[in-house]
Amino acid sequence: MKILIVEDEPKTVAYLRKGLTEQGYSVDFASDGENGLHLAQTLDYDAVILDVMLPRLDGVTVLQRLRQSRQTPVIMLTARDSVEARLQGLGAGADDYLIKPFSFLELLARLQAITRRGRNESTAIAVGDLHLDLLSRRATRAGKRLNLTAKEFALLAVLARRQSQIVSKTVITELVWDINFDTNTNVVEVAIKRLRAKIDGAFDSKLLHTIRGMGYVLEHRPEETA
Amino acid sequence: MTPTSIAGRLTLMFAVATGLVSALAGVAVFVFQTLELRRHQAEELQARFEIVETMVHRLGEAGRWPLLADKLTSFTPANDAIRYRVDSPDPRFAYGAPWPAGAQVQGPRQGLGYVRFEGRRFMTLSKMVGPYRERPAVRLTIAADTAPFDASGLVLGVGVLAASLLTTAAVSLLGRRIARDGLAPVDRLSQHAAALNPDDLSLRMPTRRLPAELEGLMTAFNGALDRLQHAYVRLSSFNADVAHELRTPLSNLIGQTQVALSRPRRPDELEEVLHSNLEELERLRTIINDMLFLARADQGAVAANLAPTSLAALVRKTADFLDVLFEEAGVTLRVEGDATIAVEESLLGRALTNLLDNAIRHGAGPGRVTVTIEDHGDEVCVGVRNRGAPIQEAHLARLFDRFYRLDPARENSGDSHGLGLAVVKAVAAMHGGGVFARCEHGEVLVGLFLKKRDAAEIVAPPRVTSEPLGSVLAESA
Repeated sequence: MKILIVEDEPKTVAYLRKGLTEQGYSVDFASDGENGLHLAQTLDYDAVILDVMLPRLDGVTVLQRLRQSRQTPVIMLTARDSVEARLQGLGAGADDYLIKPFSFLELLARLQAITRRGRNESTAIAVGDLHLDLLSRRATRAGKRLNLTAKEFALLAVLARRQSQIVSKTVITELVWDINFDTNTNVVEVAIKRLRAKIDGAFDSKLLHTIRGMGYVLEHRPEETA
Repeated sequence: MTPTSIAGRLTLMFAVATGLVSALAGVAVFVFQTLELRRHQAEELQARFEIVETMVHRLGEAGRWPLLADKLTSFTPANDAIRYRVDSPDPRFAYGAPWPAGAQVQGPRQGLGYVRFEGRRFMTLSKMVGPYRERPAVRLTIAADTAPFDASGLVLGVGVLAASLLTTAAVSLLGRRIARDGLAPVDRLSQHAAALNPDDLSLRMPTRRLPAELEGLMTAFNGALDRLQHAYVRLSSFNADVAHELRTPLSNLIGQTQVALSRPRRPDELEEVLHSNLEELERLRTIINDMLFLARADQGAVAANLAPTSLAALVRKTADFLDVLFEEAGVTLRVEGDATIAVEESLLGRALTNLLDNAIRHGAGPGRVTVTIEDHGDEVCVGVRNRGAPIQEAHLARLFDRFYRLDPARENSGDSHGLGLAVVKAVAAMHGGGVFARCEHGEVLVGLFLKKRDAAEIVAPPRVTSEPLGSVLAESA
């Protein structure tokens, strides 16, 4: 998976490069619009992360010119939180946009979404000794049926599909409850707490982990056993 | 050209008014005096006529007629300003020449009339004098030149005109002075107004020793200044609040990072610091995003993407999201009424989430939260009612202010940043509505009302602005 980052702020580039490389992407970058456009037009990328405010050629223009020849998925980064900015970006052919300040996890989630990567599409998922059947909506652990509510199952499914990936609260809220605006509630924390009691409560080996300030991971960590 | 200054306009209006009035008065005086002069002349003519008539009347003998003729000749002045004429069928009893050829005669054969010849105008009086002895009936005519009276009329006319012009000029000059003096307070006020500036918001326009008209204006103006000052102070204190809200997490970030870096740490210790930092940073991000949202609403952003939505359904969806919180708090929800109205669902959902969350958070423990949806015709009212400690009127009014907390000690409770109800207010405003908060019978009622839009406004642009994450990430199963 090859990603192009067009961004002029060195710190942003540095952490995006590091983070995405560690996630297994191969990352190129350009620090101005002209170079970025040139790279995007000549090389094949799976996705382009494009800042709106760029020297020499602004992001929207870069996108418009790129769209004349290529349909590479583009995620726009914008600091302007206005409807016009969004419309401008999407109207110019962006596949998605993120408003600064955005979280890295969210960028990752959207990148995975537009590149259709990192998601387990099968209907039966196993995490350690936890088994999920997405068709019959049943979950078992160590062979024992877990008694989950519909929402709890949906939450577990979202985490299981992204096994071993950190899933942010925003993504959880969006996918489990179809809520796509900022909420300052602790619904996700409470829901996770309850789910954890049901799937991990009676077991020594914990599967549902909290990554403070980021989100939650569902994974089997053998070294933590015992 | 219209003078632009009030003083100039007043002067012009004074001049025009005075000119008109004095012209009218002048014309009236002139006409009256002219009529009076004519009457005077006629009286004089009448008097002369009576004398001569008496003489003619008593004279019956042709022999004595030359005596009368001599007398009449002596009555006639050298410039022929007064002429006598006696027309008689008997030439022995005639006097004076007939009017020269081309004379224009006005008026009846008897009585007052005018005759004009040789460039002169005469007032005439004619009468028949009955026969006496030898003398037949004769016509006696006296003509008096009108020139002296016409001259008086002319002098009068010129005088009246001059007086009227002089009056107009004098009133204009005085009017200018009066207007300037009268408007002097305005000059003074404009100097005061020029001194107004944001550095000293307490400055006000003077209202004492002002003309009544200006006093009212200045009182109203000062009222506007009061409101502006209020808004300005609120804005600055709001800015101070923002700075304060950001300061605490920032100082935590700086402090704990410095402590962590001040000596070698184990990786898990450093990780702990990073996690803690991340939490603070997320908090900052939330505050900034909400502040930007509120700023947009302040700038007059209006809800777009309106779609007819059942409010009860939206409340239930929101409650479904908050379900675990309701359960944890032991609170049940009851939804009363419904209305379908055009709203931007994600905005209203956000407001409802905050309202319900607020009710759970600040309610008096386990119990029931009631959402009442009332259709009031042109607006719809959504109220969230929960049992709770009574809130004073002063606090109720400020409940929707940014960063306003009933209990200052909860300021850094972490899970609430004090913008929840401000967001509710902004959402209501974006839908052309407002918010309300009441406290009655041990219950707190907080809610918002939304204006119903015309059907034409509901035709929303394509929903490209809604967050696309959901559609892109939508689970396939």
